[in-house]
Amino acid sequence: MADELAETALRAATPSGVEYADVRVIRPKRYLHLAVRDGGASALTSSLSSGLGVRVRTRLAWGFAGTSELNPAAARDTARRAVRLARAAGRTTARPLRVTEETGPSRGRYATKLREEPFEVPRDDILELLVDAEKRLHVGPEVKSGAASFQAWDETKEFLSSEGASYAARIVHVGAGVTATAVRGALVQRRSAPNSFGGACHQSGFEFVRGLELDARAASVGKDAVALLDAPVCPTGPTTLVLGSSQLALQVHESVGHATELDRIFGSEAAYAGTSWVSPGAIGSLTYGSDLMNVVADATEPGGLGTFGWDDEGVAAQRVPIVEAGRLVGVLSSRESAAELGLPRSGGTARADGPDRAPLIRMTNVDLLPGDLSMEELLEDVDEGVYMETNRSWSIDDKRLNFQFGTEVGYRISHGELGALVRNPIYAGMTPEFWRSMDAVGDASTWQLWGVPNCGKGQPGQVARVSHGAPVARFRRVAVRGA
Amino acid sequence: MNVASRTPRRRDAIAESVRGLSSGTSADLRWTESLWTTIRFANGRIHQPHHEWNVNLSYRFADGNRLGTSTTGDTSPAGIDEVVRSARSLARVAPKEPKFPGFPTDSAPRPRPVAFSAASARISPEEATRIAERILTAAASRAPGARIAGVVNIGTERRRVLNSSGLDRSTRTSAAQASVLVDRPDRDPPVSGWSEGAHFDAAKLAPEKIGREAAERVATTAPVSVAPGAYRVVLRDSAVASIIEFLAALGFGANGEVEGWSCLRRLRGKSVAPPAIDLVDDARSRGTLPGAIDYEGVATRRTPLLEHGVARPAVTDVVTSGRLGRPLTGHAVPPESPSGEWGPVPTHLLLAPGDASEEELIRSTRRGLLVTRFHYVRVVDPGRGLITGMTRDGTYRIENGEVVQPVRNLRFTESVLTTLKGTELVGRATRAHNTDGRGGFTSTCPAILSRSFRFTSATLF
Repeated sequence: MADELAETALRAATPSGVEYADVRVIRPKRYLHLAVRDGGASALTSSLSSGLGVRVRTRLAWGFAGTSELNPAAARDTARRAVRLARAAGRTTARPLRVTEETGPSRGRYATKLREEPFEVPRDDILELLVDAEKRLHVGPEVKSGAASFQAWDETKEFLSSEGASYAARIVHVGAGVTATAVRGALVQRRSAPNSFGGACHQSGFEFVRGLELDARAASVGKDAVALLDAPVCPTGPTTLVLGSSQLALQVHESVGHATELDRIFGSEAAYAGTSWVSPGAIGSLTYGSDLMNVVADATEPGGLGTFGWDDEGVAAQRVPIVEAGRLVGVLSSRESAAELGLPRSGGTARADGPDRAPLIRMTNVDLLPGDLSMEELLEDVDEGVYMETNRSWSIDDKRLNFQFGTEVGYRISHGELGALVRNPIYAGMTPEFWRSMDAVGDASTWQLWGVPNCGKGQPGQVARVSHGAPVARFRRVAVRGA
Repeated sequence: MNVASRTPRRRDAIAESVRGLSSGTSADLRWTESLWTTIRFANGRIHQPHHEWNVNLSYRFADGNRLGTSTTGDTSPAGIDEVVRSARSLARVAPKEPKFPGFPTDSAPRPRPVAFSAASARISPEEATRIAERILTAAASRAPGARIAGVVNIGTERRRVLNSSGLDRSTRTSAAQASVLVDRPDRDPPVSGWSEGAHFDAAKLAPEKIGREAAERVATTAPVSVAPGAYRVVLRDSAVASIIEFLAALGFGANGEVEGWSCLRRLRGKSVAPPAIDLVDDARSRGTLPGAIDYEGVATRRTPLLEHGVARPAVTDVVTSGRLGRPLTGHAVPPESPSGEWGPVPTHLLLAPGDASEEELIRSTRRGLLVTRFHYVRVVDPGRGLITGMTRDGTYRIENGEVVQPVRNLRFTESVLTTLKGTELVGRATRAHNTDGRGGFTSTCPAILSRSFRFTSATLF
């Protein structure tokens, strides 16, 4: 199975003094982005990239090099460059590196299960779908701008390590969505479906996009955007907050997923993305949220953008409990960080976003598990409150404590029922207080898996593709206001 | 590896792909070669040394006014054929871009040479590692026992842009960027200091100064809590960089103008800041990380954005110049770029310095806050220029013109327009900030004193 070029690079990457090396060959990575804006094409783009990345470890340091050139000379040159970097870095420290011993080398093949190859669907068929949906957004002159987009990713990868790991993978993601922007004077309101920032994404074939029924959703999206222009600003004050599934998914991402990345916890990302309010000693004892809170990082979940066979260190995909009944029980880890914490094995979350990037700890599919209340039952106990859905803005501090999220829409809740639309809703809080205030969690009928295809981390920057499953949930005494 | 010597023969081969096109069609292409070394360090050691060498070809085909773009890293003859075929097939099915003005000709203003450091472009792994080590050593000697983390990015990019209107232009850029965080997680609450620098010449990066400054900025006393609310603020240069970068994206990007959400769309030609505020975009300046052309081959130029506080027009690329009926300004991003959703935006910002020292800015503040930098800044409401983010790595209370104590970090939710309109004093020392470490987005700015800045909540540290 092993790629000849990968073997060439691996040989060049293992001179005397190198204890470990791995090679990833991406051949190819395809990307298709079709976006229609106001009847015209804002982006009709396809890309095809290939490349090779080599990572080496000496007793004292890592080294990484990547290239877009796929030929034996470039493979050797890239490998030697990684070795030079590791040796130069090793001269600055006397502390040996440690990594977990992974039992049994990883060998095999992983492929996305799909029914309809997205790159084989005629592009004019996809464009027809987008043009039709975008047109339906324009329900009146106040819809100043409409957008409909489709994206597909398809990556074929070979992985080879000096420990004998050898796997091949083909992973396909698709996504689509619509957004209407309504403008009146200085007032600008946006409404999107099924989600903001590109729509909904899954590991799937084109059948997922067909199931989104963008054309059927578009008119109501346009109407909502216009209605928001006349809606009152969200009221201010501590109140009961009910979050829709997609917004709660992003809340999980920012305040649980990133906070439990072990590289952040150990300070490896301190200068850029930040650290975490979670300390290494807190695992097993920290009360993260209410006893209704159960979170897993599941790299085996069907449809997830963070689903794979093996990570970019050759560690097999796992389902790792993170929070059980409100207590922190696990973290997201790599071979090096797991060894530093004293874990027996890596959680298998080291991923790179391309051949020219080194693997970092990235979320897989970090899910808040469903509870047992229907939406109606969850609202029943709310005398006054606000329901918010579809993210509009997000920000959180560098320890993942103080957060503020804005959503596209809010609805007042009164005596157990959803009421009037409110615009510019914002809620804010502190991570532990917020999760400890969660007193009701929606059942499986409210739970959905959402792709987050734009998770930034690392220097040079990397964009990971992850997912989060979340139900609807209720939080008490949350600070809400209108922007 | 040497960028200049690798691929000229293949580049000439691809030039043929934009020549001799049939009537009613046109094309442009971007050939980019980049070589970067990144040395990351944390917990006192170099933990992520990185090198990358990439070649990319971006080809855009126009079938009349229908546009399709395709890119590839496969620059073999077969790869080039495929990228051309793919762009053509996309263009054939694309919706029309009714006001597409066509690609620029070579008669447009010629690009001028810009500053470039050949030594930086060919820096070795060992030399880059040594720069990181110098930062680490300087910081550690001033702050023994502290946790030190940061990055050094050094590299080069060569870009050639050709089109079927006869344009054939090249630029090469060099960039060096470093930043360092010195923190004391063992203190309760923790304290930290920050410094950074960017220059087109790695030899001018001043690693010792960067390491020393971060270490010396670590507070020696415990931060106290202050109540959220509106404060007079002294924003250090790193914080000002965030403000003007969001102003550039929300106020001077063409897509915001076209789609109606620009925070300046009804304010062009009007005063939005005091006369002391002069903001320009100038990718040719030695004070930034210079580049001679944009991604459509248009010569970069000095573009006034705020002239004595008066808002000037948004910047453009080929498509938005047609939609807005305005001239090209040389601000095209790659047509395939995800950031293309924002459209063309100013990327080499220079805020003119004033004549105040940081001490004078502080002395002019009876009661307020000194902010070193912001973290995780995001848009709340684009039409009002409203953004939110956290303070980070050194926020201090000012009383009666003196810094009296560090404070725990705060969240702000404020409009970039309010911040600039309230500017009372501008610092004289400027610093270049490069957020992506690749020279793509550079802001060179001084510190400012602004009358009122709204903090909406506080955090625990």
